Amino acid sequence: MGSMIAARDSSSRRKNYTQIILYGILICFLLFIPLFFQSPYVLHLFILTLVYIIAAASMRFIMTSGQIPLAHAAFLGLGAYVSAVLSKHVGLSPWLSLFIAAFVAMGVGIFISFPFARLKAFYYAMVSLFFGVGLLQAIESLGKLTGGLAGITAIPTLFNTASKVPYYYCFLALTLVSLVILYRFEVSRIGWNLKAIDQSYLVSSSVGISEVKYRVLAVAIGCFFVGLAGGMYANYNVTLSPSSFDSSVTLWMIIYVTIGGMNNFSGPIIGTAVLFLIPQYFSGLKQYAPFISAAILFLVIFMFRNGLVCIPGLLMAFYKRKKSTSKSR
Amino acid sequence: MAESTILLIVATIVNALVLSSMYILLALGFTFLFNIMGILNFAHGVIYMIGAYICFYMATVVGINQWLALLISVAVVGLFGIFMERFIFRPFFGNINSIIVVCIGLITVLVNAVAISQPYNVQVTPAFVQGILKVGIVSLSWQRIVFFLIGVSLLILVLLFINKTKQGLQMRAVAQDLEGAILQGINVHFVSALACVIACALAATAGSLMGSYLSLTPYMGNDIMIKVLEILVLGGIGSINGVLFAGLIVGTLDAVLPIWLSGTATQAIMMLIIIVILLFKPQGLFGKEVRA
Amino acid sequence: MILEINGLTKNFGGLTAVSGIDIKVNDGEVLGLIGPNGAGKSTFFNLITGVIPPTKGKIIFKGKDITGKRPHEIAELGIGRTFQLNPLFPNFTVLQNVISSFQIRPRSNWLDTFFNTPVYRKNEAYILEQSLEILNLVGLYKVKDELAKNQPHGYQKMLGVARALAIKPSLLLLDEPIAGMNPDEIDNTIEAIKRTSQRGVTIILVEHNMKILEICNRVVVINFGQKIVEGSPQEIKENPEVIRAYLGSGHDTKH
Ligand SMILES: Nc1ncnc2c1ncn2[C@@H]1O[C@H](COP(=O)(O)OP(=O)(O)OP(=O)(O)O)[C@@H](O)[C@H]1O
Ligand SMILES: [Mg+2]
Repeated sequence: MGSMIAARDSSSRRKNYTQIILYGILICFLLFIPLFFQSPYVLHLFILTLVYIIAAASMRFIMTSGQIPLAHAAFLGLGAYVSAVLSKHVGLSPWLSLFIAAFVAMGVGIFISFPFARLKAFYYAMVSLFFGVGLLQAIESLGKLTGGLAGITAIPTLFNTASKVPYYYCFLALTLVSLVILYRFEVSRIGWNLKAIDQSYLVSSSVGISEVKYRVLAVAIGCFFVGLAGGMYANYNVTLSPSSFDSSVTLWMIIYVTIGGMNNFSGPIIGTAVLFLIPQYFSGLKQYAPFISAAILFLVIFMFRNGLVCIPGLLMAFYKRKKSTSKSR
Repeated sequence: MAESTILLIVATIVNALVLSSMYILLALGFTFLFNIMGILNFAHGVIYMIGAYICFYMATVVGINQWLALLISVAVVGLFGIFMERFIFRPFFGNINSIIVVCIGLITVLVNAVAISQPYNVQVTPAFVQGILKVGIVSLSWQRIVFFLIGVSLLILVLLFINKTKQGLQMRAVAQDLEGAILQGINVHFVSALACVIACALAATAGSLMGSYLSLTPYMGNDIMIKVLEILVLGGIGSINGVLFAGLIVGTLDAVLPIWLSGTATQAIMMLIIIVILLFKPQGLFGKEVRA
Repeated sequence: MILEINGLTKNFGGLTAVSGIDIKVNDGEVLGLIGPNGAGKSTFFNLITGVIPPTKGKIIFKGKDITGKRPHEIAELGIGRTFQLNPLFPNFTVLQNVISSFQIRPRSNWLDTFFNTPVYRKNEAYILEQSLEILNLVGLYKVKDELAKNQPHGYQKMLGVARALAIKPSLLLLDEPIAGMNPDEIDNTIEAIKRTSQRGVTIILVEHNMKILEICNRVVVINFGQKIVEGSPQEIKENPEVIRAYLGSGHDTKH
């Protein structure tokens, strides 16, 4: 909220400018990626990373309200299947079905979160885990539409070309827009209220914050974006199968968020980029590849308790300490 | 009643009792860790899987007696419990997200290590007890009965331990009021390590027995972890009575539902039942209400 | 009369924490509520603010029946409260705690909030100004940018009061506002309570410390969930039943 930002100390303004410049450089770099990496496979990985970044960022958004949405991958699947079915069987334009998928995911999210808003921490996490399993089961059992366990194939694509470049730019734009919207929510009073509920629902309700309203709102927004990500995935990837959305995928999303840094908006972005891309580099190791992921997990979690985003801060502190000690000598 | 119906009913009851007692052993260990350290050990299922494979390895590859293999498995996994307490749980005390990450790291490493080292995906530990008990028309394998008895006696032993011994009392004190316990001079690290050893030993026992009762796969831990979580949510996390009660329910449903339904449908129905119950009892059946 | 409570009762399983309490609270008064540990005072507050639903009884605030309303609705009607334990948002700064507590007046709609429109910014600027004023009132201005969880116990309690003031309440419920404070902080808080009362806010406060009774117009004593006597602070201090209730409970009354 505005006054919250004003409440920070004055040095934050200068930091803001450096941040903007850094983001500018980053975005320029992202724009040039298709020129640096011409291999379609590498571009494919970047495209998937963008999809998972939206998913992880929206998951973190829900988590700021103290709810651990362990059905999140199932919602990704819901968005993907809705978009796939609408564009393939109903014949809608993929561009339209993509956004309908987002709204359907949001609707289902709202529908379940009214009853689920009674549940606290661990119980919410577990019940949403079970709901996710059930949702995926339901998708699987609609075999005529979704192809059951084998999955759905020949989904209409967004672009009529074999090249991956248009997808990359389109998804980059969608990702940036999604992130900006999520960020605006987070730094506004709405985001602060979510964090307030997380810290104490008793205190926050005593000042007039409706716990149910904000918890539902968090899930609605989070599910909208994960549904969008699902739709993007479906209409890019051409085929879908339920196993891409099971609970282990949810757990990996939690890992992206935590390893990147739960307390920071850029946490899930960095976490996804690092943890999705680095293990791919080692995919030649075949069945030994999971050990690379695990090694990264242990390394980060034991060295940087607050996630990768805290590394610059730690470096800065280290640098400052070094400077001050050399001065005092 | 037809003979086959009676046989089915008896077999189902025995199956329900064996499954329940094994689930309860696992859920009880998980509850200890939660109550004493505030830790949700999502790697508990993998510990169970490792216990099962150690016992299997000892009994088949090394070729020693199954019961000895069981003891070795319990000892090794129990020692691993001390390691877990010191290097995995203690550093992340009270930080649930980090615990999830560490547990998933552990799961990834152990499951893949086992999957790579075991060329056959499904294996069975040789039976611990041979022979069949015949009562009238009903015949039951002794192994099932013995497993159930082991489960129940371990359960009683553990409950006696926490209710009657000094260490058990200390464990309860830590669970109720950590700061108070520290002030009273209780060695919290020792108590935590003890809880870890007990939890891991129970998991290893259950794993070793189930390796012979059902079969071994590298992923057996993930399936049973879901069962444990179902029991905890249903019973109310932290409540020992809840574990006993919900364990019986989940074990029974697990024995009964597959008579009519497929495996995935059983799972879905069970979760649906739990979701509905939770909507009426948001803290589970025996959970403590959050105090205002 | 601002608040009227008729036959309020709460059972927790077999235990009756509050049993058939009738209380009338006049506009602008400071009402003290005392009683030994476990008498049901905090439960009484939780019932009024809708944290737990009553088993029986009616709560009428400004002529409107508010029994069974949700806590945030009751806050909106103008009943502010503090909590005996954990009275704040630990990971916010002191100032953010107060700013977050401004939810009702002014309130921006979601569109304004999302697009950071001039309306929203004006509201937030006003909130910032008001928050600083409240922090001045309770004497926490000097630590406004520090994390709430790092504050000493007394400051946290005062911050609880500051937070409750942010909803601009017409009725303020304070649960043991000075328990565990040092004498300086106690004087400070009593001063803040007095000034709040002078602004026309009706206050009900629970306290063990007899010192605070001096600022009350009227005192109600409850024990085992029942009202045993009510009267002026002087009368209460001399009442044999009150002395018995306190001594009989075997607890230190922290005089
Ligand atoms: N949510 C609850 N569930 C069950 N019992 C409760 C609950 N809340 C309070 N109690 C019980 O109700 C009784 C009254 O408690 P309450 O907290 O209202 O007392 P109090 O007067 O505020 O005491 P104190 O001076 O210690 O704060 C106590 O015996 C307490 O154990
Ligand atoms: Mg109280």
